Amino acid sequence: MNFIEVQKVFKFFQQDRVLMPVLKEISFKVHEGEFIALVGPSGCGKSTLLRLLTGLVLPTEGSVLYKGKSLTSVNLDSAMVFQSFALFPWLTVMGNVEVGLEARGLSEEMRHKRAAEFIDKVGLDGFEEAYPRELSGGMKQRVGLARALAVEPKLLCMDEPFSALDPLTSLALREEVLMMWEDHTMAVNTIIMVTHMIEEAVLMADRVLVLSPRPGTFLADIKIDLPRPRDKKDVRVNEISDQIFSLMAR
Amino acid sequence: MAKQFLLRRSVFILAFFILAGLIYALGQDLSFPTDIIHLDTAVSQLPRYAVYSLMRMFLAYLLSFFFSIAYGYIAATSPKAEGPMVAFLDVLQSIPILGFFPVAVIFFVSLFNGSRIGVEVASIFLIFTSMSWNMAFSVYESFKTVPSDLVDAAGALGLSGWHCFSKALFPICIPRLIYSSMISWAGGWYFLIAAEIIAIGPVKHELPGLGSFLIHSTENGQVDRTILALLLLVGMIILFNLFVWQPLGVWSEKFRYEFSVSGPPRHSFSLLWYRKILATTQFRALRKLSFFTLSPLKKTITLFQRFGGKMTIIVIKGMGVLCLVAIFYAVSSHLIVFVEGFSKPFPIEIRNIPIAIGASFLRLVVAYILALSWTLPVAYWVGQSPPALKVVTPIAEIGAAIPAPALFPFIILFGIHVMGGMNAAAILLILTGMQWYLLFNLLGGVQNIPADLKEVARSLGLSRWHAFRRLFLPAVFPALITGSITAWGGGWNALIVSEYLIYRHEIHSVTGIGAMLDQAIYESGDAQMILITLLSMILTITLLNRFFWRKLYVYALGHFKIEY
Repeated sequence: MNFIEVQKVFKFFQQDRVLMPVLKEISFKVHEGEFIALVGPSGCGKSTLLRLLTGLVLPTEGSVLYKGKSLTSVNLDSAMVFQSFALFPWLTVMGNVEVGLEARGLSEEMRHKRAAEFIDKVGLDGFEEAYPRELSGGMKQRVGLARALAVEPKLLCMDEPFSALDPLTSLALREEVLMMWEDHTMAVNTIIMVTHMIEEAVLMADRVLVLSPRPGTFLADIKIDLPRPRDKKDVRVNEISDQIFSLMAR
Repeated sequence: MAKQFLLRRSVFILAFFILAGLIYALGQDLSFPTDIIHLDTAVSQLPRYAVYSLMRMFLAYLLSFFFSIAYGYIAATSPKAEGPMVAFLDVLQSIPILGFFPVAVIFFVSLFNGSRIGVEVASIFLIFTSMSWNMAFSVYESFKTVPSDLVDAAGALGLSGWHCFSKALFPICIPRLIYSSMISWAGGWYFLIAAEIIAIGPVKHELPGLGSFLIHSTENGQVDRTILALLLLVGMIILFNLFVWQPLGVWSEKFRYEFSVSGPPRHSFSLLWYRKILATTQFRALRKLSFFTLSPLKKTITLFQRFGGKMTIIVIKGMGVLCLVAIFYAVSSHLIVFVEGFSKPFPIEIRNIPIAIGASFLRLVVAYILALSWTLPVAYWVGQSPPALKVVTPIAEIGAAIPAPALFPFIILFGIHVMGGMNAAAILLILTGMQWYLLFNLLGGVQNIPADLKEVARSLGLSRWHAFRRLFLPAVFPALITGSITAWGGGWNALIVSEYLIYRHEIHSVTGIGAMLDQAIYESGDAQMILITLLSMILTITLLNRFFWRKLYVYALGHFKIEY
C-alpha cells in the first residue's frame, strides 16, 4: 500500500461561468519517508495540488488516496506551513501553537507542555508570550512550523515556506527543516514542499516533480540521489537544476 | 501632542455648540410659508410618485457623492483641518434626521418663498443628511490609508494635482466609496418617509412621493395600499441592485490594492451586458462623436489648469472664507437667541428627558442584542460558505431599504397583538434600523478574513466552535465594533420613526426621547422643546461614542487587526 497515491486527478475552477482547468490528469505516488518538491512556473496549480494532497481541496475528477483510502475531507494526519505564515495575529506564539492541540481535545496542561516542547524545538524558547507582530519573518515561520509539527502529523505540506524570507534566514531554516525531517523522534517523516526555486528543490528533496504551465500537467519526476548535506556549488546539483530549468523553459 | 489633543477637544466642543446654535437659531423664527402642496393619494399616481422619489434620491446621492469626496479628501490631506473636520462630522452623524428639519424648513423653504421648489430642495437636503456622513467617513478613511508606495510612485512619475488625485488617490477609495454608497442608498430609502413630509408644528408640507404615500396609507390604515407601495419599493430596490450596485461592486473590485486574493472573483450579469454594449460599433461611433465634441473642452480645461491653477486656488480659498464669515455672522447674530432659549423658563416636560433617554437606551440595548443574535451566526455561515453571500447580500440590501413606518401595520399586528404592547413594536422597529448595519459590516469583515487563516483552521481540524472562537470572532471584531457604532447611530436615528407612529388615525407612542422629539416637531412645534430634546439626544450619542465605542474601537484595532 502506498502512503499517498494520486490517481488521474483533474481540477477545474469556476471563473465567470467558465470552467477553467487548473490541473490535468496528474498521477504519482509518494512513499513514506520521502521529501518531495513540487516545482513549476507560477500559476501552474502546484499550490492547488498541495491542497489536494491534504484534502483541503477535493479533486473534480480522479482521487487522492492516503494509506489506500480516498480523501473526502481534510486529512488530519497532515499539517500545513504557509508562505504568508498564516499566524493568528490575536494569539501569542504559545496560543498559535496550541490551537491545533485544542482542536484535538488535549487537556490544558498537556497542550501547554507539548506546545512548549515544540516552541523549544524550533528555537523560540523565551518567546512564548510574544505576539506575531513582534516577531521577524524568520521567527514567524518558525512559529508556523512549530504549530504544524505540534499536532504530530505524518505528512508535512509546505507551500513556498521560505519565499517570504531573506536569503540568510531561509538558508538557516532550510537546514533546520532537514534536520527535523531526519530526526526519527519526530512523528513527521514525509514532507511535500511547493517551491518556485529550482535550486531549493534540488538542494532539499529526494524527488522533484515538475509541472507544466496552466493547466498543470505532469512533466517529469526526477530522482535526486545526492548525499546530504548538499552544496549548491556541487556540479551535480547544477546539472540537475539546469535539466529542470530546460524542462520548464520549453 | 497634548496641545493638539486639547485643540481637537475644544474644536469638538465648539463645533457642537455652533451647530446647536445654528439649529436653534434657525428654528427660532418659524414663519412658515403658506403655499401648501396637496397630496393626491390615488393609486394611479403611484408610478409617478415612485419616479419622483427616485429623482430625489438620485439628486441627494449626487450631492452626497461630491460632498463626501471633497470633505474626505480635505480632512485626510490637510493636517490642520483634519481634527476639527472629523470632530464636526462626528457631531453631524449623531444628529437624527429630524434635527435637520429646522434648517431645511427655514433655510430652503423660506429661501424659495415657500414655493414647491423650496420644499423639494429641503427634502433633497434631508435625504442628503441621511446619506452623506457615512460616505464622507469612508472616503476619509480610504484616503488616510492610501499605500505610501503608491503615492511615492505617483510622485516619481511626476503626477501632481488633478492627475495624482485621479490616477493614484481616488481609485484607492472607490471600493469603500461604492460599498458605503450602497448602504447610504438604503439609508436614504429608510428615511424617505421622514424626508418627504416636512413639518414643524401644525403646518405640514407633503411632497408627492413614495414616502408620503406610504405614511398616508398607514395613517389611514389602508394595508392594501401599504403593501402595494412596499412592493413597488422593493421592486425598485431589486432592479437598482441588479443594474447599478451589483455591477458597480464587481467593477470596484479591480481597485482593491491587495496582493492576496481570497476566493474566486464575483461576477454580475449586468456588468457583462454593459461591457458588451460598450464594445458595440454603435457605441464606439457615439464615443468618437463625443470625443470630437469634448476634446476642445478638455483642452481648455487643461490650459486653464496650467495657467489658472493659482487663480482657482485663490478663488476657492476666497469662497471658503466667505462661507466661514457667513456662518459666523449667522451664528453670532443668533447667539443671543440661543442664550435666550436657555434663559427662558424651561417647560415642565423637560423633567421627562432623562427618563425618556433611559427608556430609549434600554430599547436600543434589547434591539442590539436581538440584532447580534442573528447577524453573527449568519456572518459566520457566509464565512464558511462564500456562495451564501449571493443570497444574503440582496436580502440585506432590500431589508435595509424598507422604511420602518411602512412595516408598522405588520409590526403592530405582531407586536401589539402577539407580543403585547407598543414597547415590543417599538423594539422591532428599532431593530429594522440597526440590524442591517451590523450585518453589512460583519459581512465585510468576514470577507476580509485571509484565505490562509481559514485554511489553517481547516487543516488543523478546528471544530466549528473552536473556529468560531479562535478565528471568526477575533477576525471580525474590528468590523463588529464599527458595525456596532453605525448600528447604534442608526438605532438612535430610528427612534424617531419607531417610538411615535400614527396608524389608523391613532397615535401610538412610548416614553422615549424619539417620541419626545416627534411630539415637539409634529405636534407643538415648540422651538425650545425641539432644541432641548435634540441637544440632549446629540449629547448622549456623542458621549457614548467618545467614551465607549471609540475606546473599544482603538482596543479592537490594537489587538485584532490583521496585518499582511
